[in-house]
Amino acid sequence: MERRQLDLPKADILAVDDNPVNLRLLLQILTSKGYKVRPVPNGKLALSAAEAIPPDLILLDINMPEMDGYEVCQKLKENPKTTNIPVIFISAYNNAIDKVKAFGVGGVDYIPKPFQIEEVLVRVHNHLSIRILQKSLQKKNQNLQDTLEELKAAQTQLVQSEKMAALGQLIAGIAHEINTPLGAIRSSIGNIQDFLKQDLYYLSSFFNSLNNLEKEIITKLLKQANNQYNVLSSREKRKIKKKVISQLETQGIDDADSLADTIVDLGLSENLSVIIPLLKAQSGINIFNQIYRFYSLQKSADTIAIATNKAAKIVFALKTHARHDSAETKSSADIIQGIETVLTLYQNQIKQGVEVIKNYQSLPQIYCYPDELNQVWTNLIHNALQAMQYQGKLTIETLSNPQQIIVKITDNGQGISQDILPKIFQPFFTTKPPGEGSGLGLDIVKKIIDKHQATITVSSVPGNTTFKVFLPINNIH
Amino acid sequence: MPKPIIICVDDETLVLDSLKIELRKFFNNNCLYEFASSGEEGLEIVTDLEKEEPNSKKVVISDWWMPSMKGDEFLIAVHEKYPEITTIMLTGQASEAAIADVLEKANLHCCIRKPWEYEDLMHTIKQII
Ligand SMILES: Nc1ncnc2c1ncn2[C@@H]1O[C@H](COP(=O)(O)OP(=O)(O)OP(=O)(O)O)[C@@H](O)[C@H]1O
Ligand SMILES: [Mg+2]
Repeated sequence: MERRQLDLPKADILAVDDNPVNLRLLLQILTSKGYKVRPVPNGKLALSAAEAIPPDLILLDINMPEMDGYEVCQKLKENPKTTNIPVIFISAYNNAIDKVKAFGVGGVDYIPKPFQIEEVLVRVHNHLSIRILQKSLQKKNQNLQDTLEELKAAQTQLVQSEKMAALGQLIAGIAHEINTPLGAIRSSIGNIQDFLKQDLYYLSSFFNSLNNLEKEIITKLLKQANNQYNVLSSREKRKIKKKVISQLETQGIDDADSLADTIVDLGLSENLSVIIPLLKAQSGINIFNQIYRFYSLQKSADTIAIATNKAAKIVFALKTHARHDSAETKSSADIIQGIETVLTLYQNQIKQGVEVIKNYQSLPQIYCYPDELNQVWTNLIHNALQAMQYQGKLTIETLSNPQQIIVKITDNGQGISQDILPKIFQPFFTTKPPGEGSGLGLDIVKKIIDKHQATITVSSVPGNTTFKVFLPINNIH
Repeated sequence: MPKPIIICVDDETLVLDSLKIELRKFFNNNCLYEFASSGEEGLEIVTDLEKEEPNSKKVVISDWWMPSMKGDEFLIAVHEKYPEITTIMLTGQASEAAIADVLEKANLHCCIRKPWEYEDLMHTIKQII
């Protein structure tokens, strides 16, 4: 083997021998080669010298009074500060060296006495080289370990900021989802207050002014208007309105466009035969407007009821989603409810042209980390929506057998090609442009799945990608 | 003078219903009102109205966050085709970037936040027509 001449300047060697002649000789040989040598005459001093400033190498005589070389070596190896220092034993020919014992206590080599200068130098050099290589490996190893720690910390931070970004998006959506019903509620309450403040005063005089026929007509129309369940789209309403306008105009009724609007709102476009005579009479318009005021009161009350439900649902979903502390303990939870929570939060993105097909088989409650599982559904649904570019079909299926619950999430998006399929669960693997994906979604999913001793599988062809999650049922606590 | 026309666009029926009641109360029969639940439908209505009632003053009030066509996109499209129509955004949530964009490209009259104040909204519209 080629012996590489390592540059070993100022290597620090501790030489231990009770024989001053030998010690001087070693000192001479080694210093002449540029080593720094510390001579010590006995084991005790050797130990304290090695401990104070650990040398690169120790040459240790075996036969010494009080404490022999084996014992010194043993003590050196027991001390973490000195345990890695290579020890070469020195032994006279007549005291046959116990090799097994020498290596047993941690020696790396031995040199027989009397010394052969060349041999001493070669052995010393070899062991110093090994020691230095070992040291540099240790250092590299430490560096690698530090880098790994740093990477782990960076990853945690990224996961955190990823969560924050997702949260930011979510909050924007939620602000919209809450402010919309709030706007409707505020507006409706204003209308009801106005009615109570103003319209109520006129009410008795209004009714007194009506003749019997008018009263009958009003009652009939009001009944009709309140009963109609308004399911017409704005488009359909416009079509009907145009028809009504032309009918009113042929009857020579003024302000046909505004009146037609009211008639359609009240759902009375089929009752024109009753309305037209009313509108032709002098008090007719007034009566008609009053009917609209009654109707709007009803409408405002309905609006408040619907809007309150909407806002409450969003808040509930948010609350369920946001409560997230890492010291969370397992609790009994309803998986379908969790999925529904996530769907509510994504409602804004989903209603943009995604058809959600729910195939829920009822499931038993299971012990799990509910918020974390919600994170799983969130990430899988988010990926599915992205894969179909928010246009398409999202199918969510749940089923169970005595051992496990199965949740399948299928999208009809572009699919995952076979060559990247094995990589998708790796952290930072993404095919999405920066800003759209950081590649952590499925990594997080995998971690949560593992925490539940669950499994996840994926199968994909273009137009059909299914992620299946298998959650064990019997893992109580 | 033909009646001014106020066109409201929002994907949420709750909002359209509420706006209608407010507008009717404030402007009575002095204005005409049209309602659309998407930007696409809004554009259709505006195009029709420009043909049928070319001389009416028109105001378009639009939500921002809607399926497919977003409010900013819609208002910019309206403005490009009919620059004389006044545009207003009424929204519970819009990115600052989107608002800045409409301000510049659709000559946005103003952006009113949901939940809106009745008086605010009505007086803003009144000033325009
Ligand atoms: N339903 C799916 N259809 C098609 N491809 C998918 C689907 N789910 C995941 N992928 C692929 O797997 C990759 C990794 O997904 P992952 O959720 O880990 O990260 P991401 O979605 O790219 O970014 P992030 O989730 O951090 O926003 C995606 O970039 C995508 O290529
Ligand atoms: Mg993802």
